[in-house]
Amino acid sequence: MSNQPLLSVSGLAKEFSIKGNKQKIKAVDGVSFSLNAGETLGVVGESGSGKSTLGRLVLRLLEPTAGEINFDGQKISDLNPKELRAARRQMQMIFQDPFASLDPRMTIEALIREPLDVHKIGTAAERAEMVKKIIGHVGLTEDALSRYPHEFSGGQRQRISIARAIITRPKLIVADEPVSALDVSIQSQILNLMLNLRKEMNLTYIFISHDLSVIQHIADKVAVMYLGKIVEFAPVDEIFSNPQHPYTKALISAVPQINPADRTNRVVLTGDIPSPASQPSGCHFHPRCPIAQKQCSETEPQLRTITTADHLVSCHLATGAVK
Amino acid sequence: MKTYILRRLGQSFFILLGVSFITFLLLYILPADPARQIAGRSATPEAVANIRAQLGLDQPLFVQYWNYLINLFQGDFGRSYLQKTDVAELIQSRMAPTLLLMFSAILIELLIGLAAGIYSAVRRGKGGDKTIMVLSFIGVSSPQFIAAILVLYIFAVKLSWFPIGGYGTFAHLVLPALTLGVLGSGWYSRVMRSSMIDILRQDYIRTARAKGAKENRVVFVHAFRNAVLPIVAMIGIDIGIFMSGIVVVESVFGWPGIGQLAWQAIQRVDIPIIMGVTLVSAIAIVIGNLIADLLAPFVDPRIKLKG
Amino acid sequence: MKTFKRLLKRKIALFSFAVIILIVASAIFAPLLAPYDPNQQFEQGLTLQGSPLAPNSEFILGTDLLGRDLLSRLMYGARTSLFIGLLANGFAVLLGTFIGVVAGFVRGRIGSAIMRFTDLMMAFPALLLAITLAAIFSPSLFIVALVIAMVNWVQIARVIYTQTISISEKEFIEASRSLGATNTRILRRHVLPHLAPFVMVWATLGISTTVLLEATLSFLGIGVRPPTPSWGNIIFENQTYFSTAPWLVFIPGAAIILLALAFNFLGDALRDELDPTQRGRQ
Repeated sequence: MSNQPLLSVSGLAKEFSIKGNKQKIKAVDGVSFSLNAGETLGVVGESGSGKSTLGRLVLRLLEPTAGEINFDGQKISDLNPKELRAARRQMQMIFQDPFASLDPRMTIEALIREPLDVHKIGTAAERAEMVKKIIGHVGLTEDALSRYPHEFSGGQRQRISIARAIITRPKLIVADEPVSALDVSIQSQILNLMLNLRKEMNLTYIFISHDLSVIQHIADKVAVMYLGKIVEFAPVDEIFSNPQHPYTKALISAVPQINPADRTNRVVLTGDIPSPASQPSGCHFHPRCPIAQKQCSETEPQLRTITTADHLVSCHLATGAVK
Repeated sequence: MKTYILRRLGQSFFILLGVSFITFLLLYILPADPARQIAGRSATPEAVANIRAQLGLDQPLFVQYWNYLINLFQGDFGRSYLQKTDVAELIQSRMAPTLLLMFSAILIELLIGLAAGIYSAVRRGKGGDKTIMVLSFIGVSSPQFIAAILVLYIFAVKLSWFPIGGYGTFAHLVLPALTLGVLGSGWYSRVMRSSMIDILRQDYIRTARAKGAKENRVVFVHAFRNAVLPIVAMIGIDIGIFMSGIVVVESVFGWPGIGQLAWQAIQRVDIPIIMGVTLVSAIAIVIGNLIADLLAPFVDPRIKLKG
Repeated sequence: MKTFKRLLKRKIALFSFAVIILIVASAIFAPLLAPYDPNQQFEQGLTLQGSPLAPNSEFILGTDLLGRDLLSRLMYGARTSLFIGLLANGFAVLLGTFIGVVAGFVRGRIGSAIMRFTDLMMAFPALLLAITLAAIFSPSLFIVALVIAMVNWVQIARVIYTQTISISEKEFIEASRSLGATNTRILRRHVLPHLAPFVMVWATLGISTTVLLEATLSFLGIGVRPPTPSWGNIIFENQTYFSTAPWLVFIPGAAIILLALAFNFLGDALRDELDPTQRGRQ
């Protein structure tokens, strides 16, 4: 097993310009991380944090305005359109909305077969076989193949999307809030499916969610995002047992805990997340931070290691002390 | 608001410019050689070449277009090769009857259409509603010239109630205006009906009724005022639809407007006149749409204006 | 297909469909069904003074100014009118769809430029533009069809443009892109199938417009030229006998109205099935 991470991004950024307005929106502002094969990175944050944009940038579904993406030895950010399309075979996406991401006019069979058609894998007969095999893998039966998306429930449609994503045996899957649109009871089913598939196929996931309890369940490493930047990055146990950034602490305190002993005082954040078009000075979080000091509004903190080598935080006041 | 008006005006200006260019292009690719037509059959090649130079026909395309444009701005629409008169003069002399017919027709369309629409909406689902909707549909789908001929035959030839075409008295106006008006009313009645139905469902109508207002007042004052808003914009477009049909209608009824002028020009293949009428109609359509777009925000304050 | 079957359950739709089939059948089988040669001038087809005959036992619908059988001319005329109507409509739909899809899919400056151009074309009144074009170019059947198509493609293009944009923004298009699909594939497999119902509706509505336009042009004398019969030019030729032989105007006129109503109704109903918010005149 090579020591090279499967995926590494550095300085990834995406700016959007608003028509008629000189200001630009920095949806993602200088994100760097690396991911090893078989690992799952959980990206967590509120809406507006840039996490969905980050997912699309990694796959180059959106063009980055800055930064590099290295995947499986290739510089994804440098590929031309034809090479990029070929590379897509190894990196797939699962979308949030199970209703909108499947073409309502195609049969399930055609939908799941589409990645094979696109990359011209196998003969027509072989493709049909592969589709039949995979449909069982995701927990649906063969008679689903001749039906249409509207005949299925949200959870089932997500299974179909997952089947589409794994049929080419990709190495990386970016899942953008894959369970957020589903009922809580269905959520765990889909999560367990994803966990099983990960083990079976040695998949690497980037799992984007706003829901920390889901992240806790599935991630190995966690990146907490705020206004386009990663404010804390640590292994999952470390994040939950020893969060350092005030924002992370606030998010965790909001997660309902069954064991009363685990319950802490809820940290309530004042205000709403500011518009990405007008970012606060210094530390972007300081207007809502319960412990903000003078330096927080003046200088921007950088990600630095704290406690262990794989725990990074960007806060002037983090000390490494356990909560 | 101002930006919207300016933008619309600018758009219309460019459309008119484009229209003039296309009109010019069509004139330019004419197979008939105007110089030869003017010079006559027995002219020598030199005489023809001379006239070509005089007319500026040997200049490059864009120079010719520029001259054409300048002339247009000065009101010069070119000359008819066959009639040896200014196209602009001919059109001007015929504008009045066409405008008279247009306003009369639209007036009748509105009177019939709005009334029918309100009636249909109020008596929704009942026999009267269905009849009106079927009649409206037939009106909208029927080709104008067939209806015109039918009307002329029945009321002028057979019954002799009206003169068989021509111009001059009120009686002459009745048939053409009524034909156009009745046919066109179908469009307005359908839109008015759905508009009224939408409005009558609104809460503020229920409030008016709850306050004890008489049903007539509710329908004709409160509801009507709001339901009629989309109609205003339609009038602008109606001008365009009217312009499309003038050639046939005026020729059937012998109405001496620019449509009949075009009709006569067609028989003689007098291209400059045909082009002139086309250009004038296009201008009328652009102006009609412009007025409709400019009136819309005043008439319906709910319309948001994008900059 | 499903919508079509649902449609036929409504009585009037069925009736319209029947009318269309009837007319189309008589057009296709005219050589077999027509009682006479449409161009043959019969001596006994005219009165002693040389006027057309009213409908009688020999000539079911009467004769025209040259003693030709009206029914036969009507049937062959249906052929011409429908042929041109379908040809022109076919062109218009193809051209309009192509331009609309390109503009809607590519978008950006090119897309806007194309749409500005269609705005421009819409400023011209259709009939006048057709007249101008017909007057400029020589009058073969083909040219007439082409002229009508040139005038008709614009509306289709605009509708297809809006629809293409709306479809391109849907998430399943992004999903296909994330698989690595090329634009060609996306267009062919995802966009076009979603456009199909709209194209169908406009193709149906378009036929009545094109047939009417042909009839009008022929009525003005610049469409199909006699002796080839078309419903429009039958009226044109026999105008002067308007008061003495009204059937020569009424019968083709009634046929035109019926056809227009039938196609309009079918297209309207189709449009209602697909998108009940659209309404109004064509």
